[in-house]
Amino acid sequence: MKSTKLAAAALVLGLVVGAPARAHGEASAMSAVSALPLASAVVGAGAAASAVAAVPVVLSTAGAVLVVKTVESTARGTVVVLERASDGAQASFELGARAAGAASLAAGTLVTVSVIGAGVVLSAAGEVIAFIPNALGRALLHNERLGG
Amino acid sequence: MPILLARLPATVLLAAALFLSGPAARAGRSCDTHALTPQTVARGLQLAERTRQALDASGAQVVVLARAGQDLSRFGVRYSHLGFAYRQPDATQPGGSVWRVLHKLNQCGSAEAALYRQGLGDFFLDDLWRFEAAWVVPTPEVQKPLLALLQGGGPGALALHHKPYSIVSYAWSQTYQQSNQWAIETLALAMEPSVGAPGEPVAARRQRAQAWLQFKGYAPAVLTIGPLTRLGGRMTAANVAFDDHPNEKRFADRIETVTVDSVFAWMPRAGLGAAPVRLALP
Repeated sequence: MKSTKLAAAALVLGLVVGAPARAHGEASAMSAVSALPLASAVVGAGAAASAVAAVPVVLSTAGAVLVVKTVESTARGTVVVLERASDGAQASFELGARAAGAASLAAGTLVTVSVIGAGVVLSAAGEVIAFIPNALGRALLHNERLGG
Repeated sequence: MPILLARLPATVLLAAALFLSGPAARAGRSCDTHALTPQTVARGLQLAERTRQALDASGAQVVVLARAGQDLSRFGVRYSHLGFAYRQPDATQPGGSVWRVLHKLNQCGSAEAALYRQGLGDFFLDDLWRFEAAWVVPTPEVQKPLLALLQGGGPGALALHHKPYSIVSYAWSQTYQQSNQWAIETLALAMEPSVGAPGEPVAARRQRAQAWLQFKGYAPAVLTIGPLTRLGGRMTAANVAFDDHPNEKRFADRIETVTVDSVFAWMPRAGLGAAPVRLALP
């Protein structure tokens, strides 16, 4: 009974003191990381696609606007084929199965290319749909849970 | 009438009643993914890269690294979260090394937390309030055992890890353990291996770690949480608890918990590290 009262008091305080409570643990930590849709450039398409280390020119020209040509689910995730409007040149990237945002991609979506020090950011309507890290980016990214 | 509830100010009870009636009472920060903007990714990774360069240049092998995930200035707190950043051999590049951050993360606003080893990019991509990093370089006498513990594959880091989590956990209790608390208790283990006697419950080890921290003069931050702040606060739930705080402190609005700022003030004072270094993007 006593523990129930204690728990009730703690619950009341906890709810009311919300703002400082968020203070130190910043509770959130997994949200943004899991939202970064890591991708790799690929050659080929669909099940035959294979990752390549070098980012194709089409995907590494800052400010370029591309159009989603096809979106295909594979055993490993999703392969997206993009086409450059100006000359029809194509390039593909592959998103991992757990990457957010792939589901919302559809043929005809406009994709903007941003080149940063750590790789290439592809975005649609102001939101990141894929990040293709270069060697520098790969050295900065790692996510591993320890133990249970 | 329960005695404890009777002690609560009427305004608090009223507010609680209002809050409990709405869905927000179950809120807290969840795992809902929110889309990142290209600017956020660019800035976060830029901060990570600048930090990497500065850590490389520092000559340190391990540092206590902090980020500013939330605006806590009204509590006199500048940084929200810390972990240990350390060098480890780069498996993809013989002879090379990479920086990894070992830290404790609360899972989606739940009442539990786990340890993660992440890259500097992951560390700084997490919804920052300010694109700013800060770190303390421990003395060589601290770096050596701490690096060995961190590079040891996990057992040392997990030895004092306690899953039940409260963001405002009492610094001298073993009921819950928030992220910064795990870090300094693990620092105690690195410095005093007898803290982690095998076969003992984690609570007993943590008690010894906390005794070492007290012996070394660590003082937690004291947050004064008054009624106005309570009423103005937004709600979280599962990851907040106050029942580990001593009654006389809790009901005097004295919440003593481990903050980055208190750790950064303590380490130089105790001769365990240098003054904090700050790096902010313009």
